[in-house]
Amino acid sequence: MSTRSIATLSKLAAVLVCTAGLAFSADVPGMSAGKMQLKSAGVMAFAPNGTLIVGDSTGGSLVALDVKDGSPANSGGNVQIKGINEKIAAMVGTTPDQILIQDVTVNPVSKHVYISVSRGRGPDAIPLIFWTDASGKLTEVSLDNVAHATVNLPDAPSTTATNSFGQNQRTQTITSLAYVDGNVIVAGLSNEEFSSTLHSIPFPFREAEKGTGVKIYHSSHAEYETEAPIRTFVPYQVNNRSYILAAYTCTPIVEIPVSDLKPGNKVTGTTVGNLGEGNRPLDMIAYTKGGHSYFLVANSSLGVIKVAVDHLDSNKAITTPSSGPAGFPMETISSLQGVQHLTKLDDSSALLLVASGNSTDLRTIPLP
Amino acid sequence: MRRFERLALDGVTVMRAIHPLSRCLNKQLNNRPNNRPIWQLTWRIAQLTIAILLFATLAPAQNISIQLVQGTFRVTGWSASGAPPANGWSSIFAVYAGGSDGPALLGSYAVENGTLVFRPQFPLTRGVRVRAVFRPPQGREIEAGFEVGGAPAIASTRVEHVYPSADVLPANELKFYVVFSASMARGEAWHHIHLLESNGSEVHSPFLEINQELWNRDNTRLTVLFDPGRIKRGVLPNLQLGMALQEGKRYTLVIDRDWADAHGAHLVQAYRKIFRAGAADRAPIDPEKWRLMAPKAGTTDALAVDFQKPLDFALLQRMLTIEGSSGSVPGTISVGRDETEWRFVPSAPWESGSYQLGINTELEDLAGNKVGEAFDVDTFQPVTKHIATATVSRPFQIR
Repeated sequence: MSTRSIATLSKLAAVLVCTAGLAFSADVPGMSAGKMQLKSAGVMAFAPNGTLIVGDSTGGSLVALDVKDGSPANSGGNVQIKGINEKIAAMVGTTPDQILIQDVTVNPVSKHVYISVSRGRGPDAIPLIFWTDASGKLTEVSLDNVAHATVNLPDAPSTTATNSFGQNQRTQTITSLAYVDGNVIVAGLSNEEFSSTLHSIPFPFREAEKGTGVKIYHSSHAEYETEAPIRTFVPYQVNNRSYILAAYTCTPIVEIPVSDLKPGNKVTGTTVGNLGEGNRPLDMIAYTKGGHSYFLVANSSLGVIKVAVDHLDSNKAITTPSSGPAGFPMETISSLQGVQHLTKLDDSSALLLVASGNSTDLRTIPLP
Repeated sequence: MRRFERLALDGVTVMRAIHPLSRCLNKQLNNRPNNRPIWQLTWRIAQLTIAILLFATLAPAQNISIQLVQGTFRVTGWSASGAPPANGWSSIFAVYAGGSDGPALLGSYAVENGTLVFRPQFPLTRGVRVRAVFRPPQGREIEAGFEVGGAPAIASTRVEHVYPSADVLPANELKFYVVFSASMARGEAWHHIHLLESNGSEVHSPFLEINQELWNRDNTRLTVLFDPGRIKRGVLPNLQLGMALQEGKRYTLVIDRDWADAHGAHLVQAYRKIFRAGAADRAPIDPEKWRLMAPKAGTTDALAVDFQKPLDFALLQRMLTIEGSSGSVPGTISVGRDETEWRFVPSAPWESGSYQLGINTELEDLAGNKVGEAFDVDTFQPVTKHIATATVSRPFQIR
């Protein structure tokens, strides 16, 4: 090949590289770059492409953030951070008791860990998001110039408007959210009405969602029907059909087909288990190990519960409660106490946020 | 203090190093009788020059200090000219609020009139101790410690009221609203709310302990839900434990004094609400049973609505409206008589004619029963696919 040809090819290669670079740095569809002002940072979830979705309960919205963390990894490593609340407090110039860790979630692409935090515990608490990995280094996710998109939740109260009598005391707290099949499913609790509404918001976000959500009911004993707010839920698939497994505030564990979650619908979850008295489910994850399917349920009082759910389908519905946890085989891992948050780190590990005395620790454990 | 001692020691160390050498040389010179005056003078000038040069190098280090001025850390006595180091200003100047091996404080650096300045990203909280460390390119490390002071918060917040106001509540009571006189701190509610039986023993797990806590916007009103799993008939916790409230028994709701408000001060005092549990209420709200007392036309007297039983205090603030022939009627509302009465005073005198009291069917009574729908329906009804619109009305006339 002549020198002239090599030079031409080199220039062409340079142009292609630059063009490719420009293509990868193009804006994410539906998002615009700029300063993002969260009013609160609560529960979070990731879309499969590594977009972080944050529930802003105070702002009454979902916020999608392009955190530019797309380098794929198969493993999250061994994330162990003792006293993570103390370390975050040290970074933001406050005392550890003024740090509230709201949620922990993992980017499925990079396996990096994201933590939503309140600095301060009053009404003017500052929302912050940090990320970390097996190195233990904590880095703030800057929102000063981030590609983002926002959608208002349909039933969230306005942050400024009052009703005709000058009242505005109502708030809606997002208790759980997850991305499922092109939608973000959001469960919440009102501080006033005992409401069971679940919302399914298309993602990427479109214009402000209007209309009603899905009313979730519980049928107990095939005799009593009640509204049933969902405390926490996790999506999963059976035979290529999408479901959510949800823990009601009244403790039954139910299965709901995602296809039923259409605006305006009134849906009764199929009971597949009862956690029973004393259980306060905080987080749930779904995983497979050794060819079997499991759920892991973190409780604030009884440790972590492992539920074996092979062949989970709606034919296994429970119509009568029993005297103890029923449905699928359950095993309490009592050694895991004080778990405040539970999420899946990768295919072989779970990540726990554990209260240990005055300290809060981030720990990686093998999926049990 | 620690910083100054280290610099002074350096100067003395230099002089002590010079002195033995000078004594040795002097001894040699003194043994040379013919050249003594000139060499001595030359050597003494050399000593003095060396000393001046060394002190000229060290003197700026002795004047470097770190100061905290209005929340900003400043390195004084050192000229921050030129570009930052290759690893950034943080590689030579950092502030730590945690332990010695903890992460540095978040913030930004600037050079202001030749002074290196670090501004923490957030104002430091009272009681935080920080350690500022400056590592100049030449010279020794300088450290300064500071503690953020300020007067401790004075206890001034109290519980103003707990709704429902009544002292007899249904055994399947669904919630309390605890109203505070000022903003409270989140994150510790479930440590400070207790339900006691008449013998003083605490009822086991009566409430739904949501970790996010259900506050209003300014953290002055907390919603406390009784565990619905214990209220709902046929649900496992209800079968295992029964309802938290037993009909006929007396209870005390206790709010602890040592609950921090938003400024970190405890409440002025504890709060106690004593009540008795009556029969469970499983009847839907029926607006047809309400008594409406219509005022006269031409007045701004109140329309009074008597519900016959207490309803939810918060929902009464927004779930009833007055519609006239020309639309919504503006006015002010009040809720009284232990939430059994709602009063509406119009902004302008009533005109005679037909009006509607609009009622949102999401309105709840104390047990969570709604308009036309009980909290738990005791005969299973087929679940409909779509939710109907949510308003009913009671007409009334103004004459």
